Amino acid sequence: MTSRVCRTCGGSDIDVDQARGSAVCTGCGSVLEDNIIVSEVQFVEGSGGVSSTVGQFVSADGPVKAPILGSGFHISVGKESRAQTLQSGKRQIQQLGSQLQLNQHCLDTAFNFFKLVVSKHLTRGRKMEHVIAACLYLVCRTEGTPHMLLDLSDLLQVNVYILGKTFLLLARELCINAPAIDPCLYIPRFAHMLEFGMKTHEVSMTALRLVQRMKRDWMHTGRRPSGLCGAALLVAARMHKFRRSVKDVISVVKVCQTTLRKRLTEFEDTPTSQLTIDEFMKVDLEQECDPPSFTAGQHKAKMQQLEQELARKLDEVEGEISCFKDEIETELEKSRPKLRGVYAAYTKEIGWYSSEEVLSSTSDPEETEETEMQATTQHLTQDFLCQVIQEEEGQGKTADEGFCDQETEPETLGTTTRPQVTPLSVILGKLPSAARLGLQESFHTFAGSETGVKPDSDGELDLKDIDDQEIEKYILNEKEVEVKTELWMKQNAEYLKEQKEKEERINKEKEQGTYKEKKKKYKKREQIEASTAGEAIEKMLEKKKISSKINYDVLRDLNGVTGSPSTTTSDPPEGNATRKRLSRRRRKTSEVNPDLSVETAVTMATKPTTTEAAAAPTPDAIPDTGSTPPAAPPPAEEEEEEEELEEECVSALQLVGGQSRLLF
Amino acid sequence: MDSSGDEALDIIITNVVATFRTRCHLNLRTIALEGTNVIYKPEDGKVLMKLRKPKITASIWSSGKIICTGATSEDEAKLGARRLARCLQKLGFKVNFSAFKVVNVLAVCSMPFAVHLIDFTKNNRPIASYEPELHPAAMYRIKTLKATVQVFSTGSLTVTGPNVQNVAAAVEHIYPLLFECQKPKPLCK
Repeated sequence: MTSRVCRTCGGSDIDVDQARGSAVCTGCGSVLEDNIIVSEVQFVEGSGGVSSTVGQFVSADGPVKAPILGSGFHISVGKESRAQTLQSGKRQIQQLGSQLQLNQHCLDTAFNFFKLVVSKHLTRGRKMEHVIAACLYLVCRTEGTPHMLLDLSDLLQVNVYILGKTFLLLARELCINAPAIDPCLYIPRFAHMLEFGMKTHEVSMTALRLVQRMKRDWMHTGRRPSGLCGAALLVAARMHKFRRSVKDVISVVKVCQTTLRKRLTEFEDTPTSQLTIDEFMKVDLEQECDPPSFTAGQHKAKMQQLEQELARKLDEVEGEISCFKDEIETELEKSRPKLRGVYAAYTKEIGWYSSEEVLSSTSDPEETEETEMQATTQHLTQDFLCQVIQEEEGQGKTADEGFCDQETEPETLGTTTRPQVTPLSVILGKLPSAARLGLQESFHTFAGSETGVKPDSDGELDLKDIDDQEIEKYILNEKEVEVKTELWMKQNAEYLKEQKEKEERINKEKEQGTYKEKKKKYKKREQIEASTAGEAIEKMLEKKKISSKINYDVLRDLNGVTGSPSTTTSDPPEGNATRKRLSRRRRKTSEVNPDLSVETAVTMATKPTTTEAAAAPTPDAIPDTGSTPPAAPPPAEEEEEEEELEEECVSALQLVGGQSRLLF
Repeated sequence: MDSSGDEALDIIITNVVATFRTRCHLNLRTIALEGTNVIYKPEDGKVLMKLRKPKITASIWSSGKIICTGATSEDEAKLGARRLARCLQKLGFKVNFSAFKVVNVLAVCSMPFAVHLIDFTKNNRPIASYEPELHPAAMYRIKTLKATVQVFSTGSLTVTGPNVQNVAAAVEHIYPLLFECQKPKPLCK
């Protein structure tokens, strides 16, 4: 609104009429301007005579966030990405919220949450649906509406735990403390769904009292509120003489039948369940109960204690019985005719072992196996008496002394079972012996490996505590390998077939020359024609919408003298980066790209250490021949640039030492 | 290990997860065919090998990275890892045992009293979170120790952390908070 001077009369009193859009001199009346661009609000008549404003509301902080780059770089003109996100978010919120019948205030709050979430970049990597649902649920919780997370997951057909995860994360990041769910909130909603007609209110009140009672009795901690509501409503309905079956209730409340039954039984255990209906409505019991899982835990502990006591008693009783039995046996033996010589010793051992068998049914499997072995030898190997007797004598001794002391037993058993294995393997097969050997050896090695472990930082294996023999068992021998191979092949036949077909397909395509390696998918890029590297960089960056974190001045200076290499694109440590980039280049050139091979021959011929020198002249060469090879130059250019960067970085690093790192 | 002084709380370590690298490429098929107790999972690209002695399950990748789970102490995890490496060495790979690190320790502990979860969550607002619809326990994350404690209403705790000391420290940290929100002694049962 500059006060202008009238052309005709020179007066400075000019009247600008916004409505008509004209500027008129009040002195002489001449029209200075016509059709001024008006910034008044315009109205348009819609259907039904409703007038609405023309135009949109633009947010104040919309396009202000233009990144400050160097001169000459254009941002893609059009709607800002952030505004688009917010708009689509708002739309989705409205849609979902209306399905849940949330009022407008809630929806606005939800949208505010969403804006916060977007500004904190929490939408990245998450589905928009999940984020929207989480925002809506956040609103539901803060407002206290009777909406469950299950409802939202029903609408979206998403797993409720996934939604829950997103919700928890958002609540934590936004520092919003959602108040805890009160089951009382859900009662009116479920009662309404159960269709109690006129008496809905009364039933709800009864159910509310029940829920409050449950809370006092500690049934509600750690449980889904909907389960409690279901149980309360069922009882309340029955109290008011409504016939609602368990199935009706669970279809409304969305819990399983088992859960409902369990809640009912828990409630039954509380003293409140003993009251009559009238008493319940009037009286409120003072006592509180423990939570049911706590009582269950205590019950378990009690049972365990009882069992232990029983076991002890049993042992005592067994001790008594064994005494009696021994006495009886000795008496019997006295009365029996005595065997002479070798057989005497034999019978003694056998008698002892058979009694052992009866009593020690609960001893560890080693011993029972031993006793079983003994029994079988008795029956089957009458001819091998001498051999067997010797071994038994040996075992008998060890069993006597080593009954309580397990450490010596395994060793001696181990030594004595070895000779026994061969005759018995014929009878019993190889399997039990292997298992037993394993167990014994494991005892042995376990005793050995109790000592502390020293940390070895070299990378060499400390073999001190490792028993090689045991490890050998982990490796199958030749025959077993064959068997396993066969099995495995059969099992995974399908997978192997697929792999073969894939390979054949690839080979065929290779022969035909139509083979496209699908490993890297590059978008089709147009060639950039530029005369100098600097221009090429500029043009590429224009097209590529580079982020604001690159210092473009430095990029431009790269072609010239070694500037300060402070770009954030080469963040990873230089050593790794050079290796990575060079290997990438090598890999790239190994791809079917015959046209590029000419240039790369130049670069590839040189050794890795000298490519840095070669890299310098090539960037100039490549943009010139950039037009001819198809599709390769832009990635190659970028690579060359990045390699140039690296080259600079490396040389700078050598010169300056670690200083360049500070610039990152 | 308990700050209240009267009784000692038993912290039982139930699981220790550790990783290490063999610094050499492993052929999973060889391992699958020549080892006992191995399960080959071609779709995940790994082999599961179970050791009996320190009861450990190891996931072996072809890059040479190995994750061991199922140990009951840090030392056991290391022993199991070394055993596993020795086994692989015997199978013919040039194994170099490096970068052994215990990544996660899971321990269980039980308070002698029950805990009122809603009060507990209210008192420790942003750090603790409780969603009965999702999980019956309240979750308390200690940022400084990088440990997470799950508190159940019966008073049992599940603690996970990067090593055993952190886990013990976490239990000590959380004990006074739980003590405040103790359930009052019940009159019945």
